[in-house]
Amino acid sequence: MNMIVCVKQVPDPEAPPASFQVDAASGRMVIAPSVNPVISPFDEQAVEAALRLKDAHGGKITVLSLGKDAVPHVIKKPLAMGADELILLQDDALEGGDSWSTAFALAHAIKKIGQYDLIFCGRQAADWDAGQVGSGIAELLGVPSVTLARKVEVSDGKAVVERVVPDGYEVVEVSLPALITVSNELGEPRYPTLRGIMATKKIEPIVWTAADLGVEASQCGVAGRRTRLLKLFKPVKEGRCQLIQADSPAEAGEKLALKLREAKLL
Amino acid sequence: MNFELGEEHIALRRLVRDFAEKEVAPIAAEVDASGQFPEGVVTKLGELGLLGLPFPEEYGGGGADELSYAILLEELARVDCGLGLSVEAHISLGGSPLNRWGTPEQKRRWLIPLAQGRMMGSIGLTEPEAGSDLGGISTTAALDGDEWVINGNKCFITNAGAGSHGLVNVLTVTGQREDGRKEYSIIIVPRGTPGYEVSEPRQKLGLHSSDTRDLSFTDCRVPRENLLGERGAGYRQALAVLDEGRFGIAALGVGLSQACLELSLQYARERKQFGKPLFDFQVIQFKLADIAINVELARLITYKAAVLCQEGKPYTKEAAMAKVFASEVAVRAAEEGVQIHGGYGYMSECPLSRFYRDAKLLTIGEGTSEVQRMVIARHLP
Ligand SMILES: Cc1cc2nc3c(=O)[nH]c(=O)nc-3n(C[C@H](O)[C@H](O)[C@H](O)COP(=O)(O)OP(=O)(O)OC[C@H]3O[C@@H](n4cnc5c(N)ncnc54)[C@H](O)[C@@H]3O)c2cc1C
Repeated sequence: MNMIVCVKQVPDPEAPPASFQVDAASGRMVIAPSVNPVISPFDEQAVEAALRLKDAHGGKITVLSLGKDAVPHVIKKPLAMGADELILLQDDALEGGDSWSTAFALAHAIKKIGQYDLIFCGRQAADWDAGQVGSGIAELLGVPSVTLARKVEVSDGKAVVERVVPDGYEVVEVSLPALITVSNELGEPRYPTLRGIMATKKIEPIVWTAADLGVEASQCGVAGRRTRLLKLFKPVKEGRCQLIQADSPAEAGEKLALKLREAKLL
Repeated sequence: MNFELGEEHIALRRLVRDFAEKEVAPIAAEVDASGQFPEGVVTKLGELGLLGLPFPEEYGGGGADELSYAILLEELARVDCGLGLSVEAHISLGGSPLNRWGTPEQKRRWLIPLAQGRMMGSIGLTEPEAGSDLGGISTTAALDGDEWVINGNKCFITNAGAGSHGLVNVLTVTGQREDGRKEYSIIIVPRGTPGYEVSEPRQKLGLHSSDTRDLSFTDCRVPRENLLGERGAGYRQALAVLDEGRFGIAALGVGLSQACLELSLQYARERKQFGKPLFDFQVIQFKLADIAINVELARLITYKAAVLCQEGKPYTKEAAMAKVFASEVAVRAAEEGVQIHGGYGYMSECPLSRFYRDAKLLTIGEGTSEVQRMVIARHLP
């Protein structure tokens, strides 16, 4: 089975909120240098989903990532976890894209890879949280997609996916090839092993440019954007504390419940 | 000169830090209070390949260099120095002698399970009457047919009872040399061998999660082929093992000091007195700056010793310098860390109080600070 996992390097979303500032004038994020780059956590879960299938059925996992600033020890982590190959899309022309132009470049790279049964993406990237790229790739490739997977099993040329819904999960069957986006309910991704880290050191990523993908510069990156960011700002959060006065705990509980219902929280 | 770590070193640090924060930090206070050896965590370290880190791949190891080893210990000690010491003793004192002098058969039998974490390794040098003066040991091993018969006592042995399976490399007196001096040899004794008893765990000031016991050998018989390397090479082997162990202890000191720095810095920024954060008082800033200077220097000499070792260059002096400096830095960093935390720092619930107790061993184990200074002085040009 051939699997492709799309991963994105992002600033560590666990870093303290104060490390992320907005430069209102340019509409850009300013990220403190102390923030480490990591693989977007949902993407690590996508890698984990592929690894579980590889454990069960064997196969090859190709990791695909777009971004010029990829740091070797970060972007190679999926290899140290057990993936087989890493392809980096690195080209000035591919930078600064939106969900559309990113999906466009990734879809072309996947076409160039050629052989695949399953494509995995994280449900959304932990930096912009748009959650569009996965479905976009599926659309461009003309393959079915199932979003928000918490479990994926494969048999007889089909995948059975448990898909997270607000009050539980639904089970979806899909023919292969297909694209699946993975949610955090899948569970913790495995740690890389020492052996994996040592072996990964010797693996050189394959690097493709826009020309390698056969796409025009005007179709990708900034030039290929179909959306424009109008305003970027930090929402002002206000905390107000209201004390519920009552004579007994039971009465306090009741009053609190009524307040919460009034606020449409219950 | 280049101070950049390799890609694999950074990836390894990320892995161990991640692991230590997720799997070790939540239980560190608990195993400190109970004195339980954290077998579950150690098993997981084995599964990740970390317990065989520097050993060859053919013997279940990771084939990584000494710098990687220092990083592993540093990151473990940053969260739990007791676990760090267990791993250090397991690798430097248990597995490493086998890796250096073991026969292929001995390595297959013991190095592989050690590297995979299915067995815990230890070394038995110290005796009730012989610590710094290793030559003064009196445990004997006599050949009787095809067996060594071992008699004597060892004390304060790390990992002696850790995990379900284990072995100890025992330094023994195996006879007299022609010049009349004692002949020393190291013999491998698997736990469970009749005549080999381990005591209950010793109660200690700190490092409670690390397993420390006394050993007694009473007509304990092991096959002749359990001799490690050459007969008569034991003393030289023991000194070589300690050389390597030294930057291991140094790395533990670096990690522990780093933890004290990070925790104290955070506390100083959050805790307010006289209307401002402690950090705004220059006295506190200077304490933090001093810890930071010392951690940085301790790390540099530790990494230097590690790199010299992996390049096959002489490193005895640098390893001794790293050991004495980093361990003394750790003791100071922990003390100042407690001071910065004030009364809270003295409470058991504050990790600083644990680091304060744990740090002291580092100036004693595997050669005291005094012994390190003797070694350094001997190597001065
Ligand atoms: C937690 C823990 C774990 C340990 N694990 C192990 C282990 O796994 N295996 C093992 O074999 N041992 C182990 N040890 C023992 C340790 O290596 C010894 O305690 C250490 O080497 C010191 O020996 P000693 O305790 O006999 O002290 P001593 O040698 O009696 O020293 C007492 C003091 O005298 C000083 N001193 C001694 N000789 C001189 C001299 N010539 N000049 C100046 N000062 C001197 C020392 O520096 C020290 O300050 C462990 C100890 C502890 C506490």
